[in-house]
Amino acid sequence: MLTVKDLYASYGAINALHGISLEVNEGELVALLGTNGAGKSTTLKSICGVLRPQGGSVEFLGEDLIGKKPEAILKKGISLVPEGREIFTSLSVAENLRIGAFSCYERDRYRYDLEEMFALFPILEERLQQPGGLLSGGEQQMLAIARALMSHPKLLMLDEPSLGLSPTMVDQIFDLIATLRDRGTTILLVEQNAERALRVADRAYVLKTGSMEFSGTPAELESELDIASVYFGGTKDGSGEVTV
Amino acid sequence: MSTPKMARIGSPGRPAAFALAALLIVGAFAVNAFAPFVVVGIYTYFCVTLMMVLGLQMFMGNSGILNWTYIGFVGIGAYAASILSTAPALKSMGVPNMYPALVALQIPVVPALLIGGVVAAVIAAILAWPLMRLSDAVGVITLFAMLIVFHVIMTQWDNVTNGPRTFFGVQAFTTIWMATGAAVITLLGAYFFRESSLGLRLRASRDDRHAAKAMGINVVGVRYLTFVLSSFVAGVAGGLWAHYITSFSPKSFYVGEMFVLLTMLVIGGAGSISGATLGALLVTVMREGLRQLEGYLNNSGVINFEVYGLTELTMAVLLVTILIVRPAGIVGGQEFRFPRIGGKRKPAEAADSDES
Repeated sequence: MLTVKDLYASYGAINALHGISLEVNEGELVALLGTNGAGKSTTLKSICGVLRPQGGSVEFLGEDLIGKKPEAILKKGISLVPEGREIFTSLSVAENLRIGAFSCYERDRYRYDLEEMFALFPILEERLQQPGGLLSGGEQQMLAIARALMSHPKLLMLDEPSLGLSPTMVDQIFDLIATLRDRGTTILLVEQNAERALRVADRAYVLKTGSMEFSGTPAELESELDIASVYFGGTKDGSGEVTV
Repeated sequence: MSTPKMARIGSPGRPAAFALAALLIVGAFAVNAFAPFVVVGIYTYFCVTLMMVLGLQMFMGNSGILNWTYIGFVGIGAYAASILSTAPALKSMGVPNMYPALVALQIPVVPALLIGGVVAAVIAAILAWPLMRLSDAVGVITLFAMLIVFHVIMTQWDNVTNGPRTFFGVQAFTTIWMATGAAVITLLGAYFFRESSLGLRLRASRDDRHAAKAMGINVVGVRYLTFVLSSFVAGVAGGLWAHYITSFSPKSFYVGEMFVLLTMLVIGGAGSISGATLGALLVTVMREGLRQLEGYLNNSGVINFEVYGLTELTMAVLLVTILIVRPAGIVGGQEFRFPRIGGKRKPAEAADSDES
């Protein structure tokens, strides 16, 4: 479905990605892991057109996405839930959802979709006319995901959905991600919370300072690679101690 | 997923908008039937001012960009409509240097008002092309500079505006009914604009420009369209104003008058139609009251010095107070909602039982 090949990206003089490749197949939940600054968000931004990569190719359903505008890529069916949620705080929950549906607006389908969102996120129905800014962090995250789903994405990209949420809320968000996966939504998930992400993912990629360190199933990842080494740059010995 | 239902979204602000429109009409009838002549005049003036404030709200309230040039577009509409509707004989007397081609023109008032709006909108369309590409703070400063440019042109272009001197002889066309009708149409128009997809896109871009872009919203485009639309309203309102006041000069379209419109909008709440309307009403009542008070103080000899500028001073204090105590205005960022009668609505109850 999505094929990224040899992607290079940089912010000015700083090279963020050194030729990474990854693939997402239809119906899969793929986790993209790595520490701060590994290039996870840069990868997502390059895919959805917010950032223009220096080299490489991004192919979605057989079409090249490089150089396309974000709104065009959104219309092609890739929806990003950005890090830090970025919901519209002064707009009501209903209005936030309406904006999500703009890229493919049909009045009747919109109402059905809305009903579907209420089934997935009952809290949003309760808060429908409240400004988004009055929602709690977790509710805002749900709103951001619901807003992205309103555009019927073929590929949903989630950037750190558990960031800054309380542990119970993190559970809820991951339950939700699992539900979406079971419904057949194709998801590319970027997470710091590697352990949780691996529990729901079909496959995983590990980025380290802009290069692909590993790719495989969660089971392979756990046997072949030390999560600790990815996150702390050290190795784990037999007793579980991490030495850097 | 149960069987698909149609979700009911509703428009929580709609009752308030329609209630305000109805109140304006009822108010016009009541004032016309029972109030003295002076009050009929004040009400007419209020309705024209309200139309200006609502036009300003369309752009400023939804985009969050302070549009200083707005009153300049009011001026363009006022001059354009007045030049078009005034009899040639009166024009050649009132504006001795006017271009002969302009002197000869005369059309009925209603098309003149609309053309006034179109002229304002066309000028806005040209200027907004670069303006709407500027970032927020730079844009506001540029808009302020534009107001100065407009003012200089109005005071210097003898052949069109009579320079800094008064342009007089305009027909007294704007009645209380005209003004109320225009205010009601603008109020409903501004409300539906706010709720429209264009208005919603604009409000989203005010909240977070980058997130809006990421959601596929063309921020520059929606700002541009709204700026032109808002300038059209300004132009028509300016024409109505000119045909009420009948003689005016460029100083009516400058910082002082703009400040009054801004105060009205900010006090009530720039984010909503109900806020803009409430602010316009409050400031109008206050100004008239203070003007009376000032006149009484100065004429009755209660105090032994001249009181001057009481209105401006009070408005400035009120504006600063509101900005400190309630920055989103009295009504706040959302449209006013009537409290629900008969307790909570269904989904809230359902969710309550879920939580327990």
